Amino acid sequence: MPSAAALRLEIERTLEHRFPAALTPAPKTIYEVAPTGVAAVDALLEGGLPVGAISEVTGPESSGRTSLTLAFLAQRTEAGQVCAWVDVGDAFDPESAAASGVSLKQLLWVRCRNESGLAQAKPWTRLDQALRATDLLLQAGGFAAIVLDLGDMEPAHAMRIPLATWFRFRQAADRTRCSLVVLGKTSYAQSSAAVVLESAPFQPESVGGTVWRGCMFEARRGRQRFTPQLASARKPPTSAWSATAAWEAKRPA
Amino acid sequence: MSSELYACVHAAEFPAQALLRLRTDLQEQPIAVLDGPVLQETVCSLNRHASRRGAVLGMMRLEAEGISGLQLLQRSAEVETAAHAVLLECAARFSPRIEEASHGTACALVLDIAGTELLFGPPEKLAERLREEMAAAGFRVSVAVSANFHAARIKAEATRGITIIPAGEEARALEKLPIDSLALTEEHRETFALWGIRTLGELAALPEVELVKRLGAAASDWRALAHGSARHTFQPIEPTFALKEFYDFETPVEQLDSLLFIGARMIDCLVARAVGRALSLASLTIYIGLEGGRVHPLAIHPAVPSMDRKFLLKLLQLEMGAHPPLAAVVSLTLTAEAGQSSKMQLGLFAPQTPEPSRLDVTLARLKAIVGEDRVGTPVLEDTHRPGSFRMESFVVDVKPATPKAERPRMALRRVRPPHPIQVVLHTMKPVAFRDGNNRFEITAAYGPWKTSGCWWSQDGWDTEEWDVLAASHNGEAFGSLLILDRLRNEWRLEAFYD
Repeated sequence: MPSAAALRLEIERTLEHRFPAALTPAPKTIYEVAPTGVAAVDALLEGGLPVGAISEVTGPESSGRTSLTLAFLAQRTEAGQVCAWVDVGDAFDPESAAASGVSLKQLLWVRCRNESGLAQAKPWTRLDQALRATDLLLQAGGFAAIVLDLGDMEPAHAMRIPLATWFRFRQAADRTRCSLVVLGKTSYAQSSAAVVLESAPFQPESVGGTVWRGCMFEARRGRQRFTPQLASARKPPTSAWSATAAWEAKRPA
Repeated sequence: MSSELYACVHAAEFPAQALLRLRTDLQEQPIAVLDGPVLQETVCSLNRHASRRGAVLGMMRLEAEGISGLQLLQRSAEVETAAHAVLLECAARFSPRIEEASHGTACALVLDIAGTELLFGPPEKLAERLREEMAAAGFRVSVAVSANFHAARIKAEATRGITIIPAGEEARALEKLPIDSLALTEEHRETFALWGIRTLGELAALPEVELVKRLGAAASDWRALAHGSARHTFQPIEPTFALKEFYDFETPVEQLDSLLFIGARMIDCLVARAVGRALSLASLTIYIGLEGGRVHPLAIHPAVPSMDRKFLLKLLQLEMGAHPPLAAVVSLTLTAEAGQSSKMQLGLFAPQTPEPSRLDVTLARLKAIVGEDRVGTPVLEDTHRPGSFRMESFVVDVKPATPKAERPRMALRRVRPPHPIQVVLHTMKPVAFRDGNNRFEITAAYGPWKTSGCWWSQDGWDTEEWDVLAASHNGEAFGSLLILDRLRNEWRLEAFYD
């Protein structure tokens, strides 16, 4: 009676001309990930956001995109790494970042400006500045995470970013081992994004109707290049997480 | 064997050499340098190409302008001072004992090189290296080495290239040189001409006593000089180490490229001088002299001292691009502060951070794109004023991080500048607000949170903050921060919760 190993070898040899290594599982590449600091999201993403790739955190206003991204930066700066925030709409709030645990000394903030000075001016100048700044930062290397904040940008405008630009960013991020996080209302990088995390509208939590103490958010995995979604799954994997207000004190156990 | 040994470095036509040192494009052109009061300017120095065209020293400006192709430059004392410092700096690499022996428009330095054989090899090798070093700094010099101070000085002045005078053969080395090599008065020169004495050898052959009887005590010194046996007490100078370069443009320059062309050469020289002392450039200060007498200062402070000329030139280019001079440029001065060469011990497990020199260039480029004050690190102000912070320069300073929040915190997205809104109140609570054309219904309002401060000064504040949950007409819900400015009695949309 031949052993199972010998039998498998014999079958593989027979099928070799049609299926190389038919019964041997393909080696799995382990991609490096960095935790976001939110356990539910880390479980959803199987460890965190990928390193050396583009991740997109999308959703409407008040869907927890910024809170999640700041939690991710807090993890990176806590590990002694340097991060950058390219701010198209000049919306970054240093107080929120500090409250989230981001070490501001390790954060480079690039504030794009509207040269015309008009609030209603077209965003092309700011968008162009942001893309050039991101390009420079990616080329410089050494940044563990770069956030390209397109959160206030209308999708009609941000969708005009050429795919070639995203492809270039992807290559540069891969080469410099940088996590490029794109914050937007919808997904823009398309096939260049390794992960798309969709944030859903929130459920506020309050105490006695007088104090707003936090929010419940929902995160949905829209796309994950390195972990293909099973065709049988009807709905994308989802998880809920919560963020507390900056004034919410730690409750005694 | 004599224990004394001197090397004389002689840079002839120093005013021209000093001007051409930084202008490599003009070095193969006929150049004459003019000096003197306006309308009485005469040629005080020229290069060999100008001599071939027929230019001579003492020629008036009008005559010089008649020579085709001859470029006329104005003599600059500051340029010569900077060039002299560079010459001295180069010479100091071979010997700490240097005596100044400049004469007329030439610059001459005599180095005491006794005992340097172990460092630089025999005198021939030292002279070659000395000449190469000077050539790298932009000077064409002649070098003479002798055991006699004056023999080395006279021979270097009278000949080109390298001359090594063996000990005891000074008289033979000098005998064919013209008697004009000595600093004689016109009267004595005529006397020697009448006697038929034309070379130093002929002067040295005259009997000393008879010579002194006829021409006085000074004649004994001339004879000793001509014989190569004059005694000298060495008087070393103390060169001060100052990294400074200066260039005076003959015509006002408006294009940055032209400035950078000279700036690059100046940086080269500064780096070479710093490297000669095992130092790097910690900072560069640029003073751009403008038409009308104003000075446009610029400063470059690399994160770590650097000796990379390309990197420093890039920073200079970006700084000049960010702060261009507002008038034509007439002079350029670069001063540098020396610093210790950067040493960094990298660790295998240390977190990856941006390389300091690349980061400097990246930051300068970012500033050129978005503006000087819009790139940096946010630093929270020590105040209770909401949303108060300042921008500081970004420096990679990785230290143990502050304790991070245990749970994710709700973040704000600021609206800059805050948007004025009209708010509808009901029982003192906001129930709706209008932002331009859109109306938002408030489903929940938490507040008011009152803050005030600095009431004693002009920039005081007194506000009521409301955290509201609002919904637009199409059902999109969001959380935002509304502020009632009680001093101006106006409502503003300050931020969104996200």
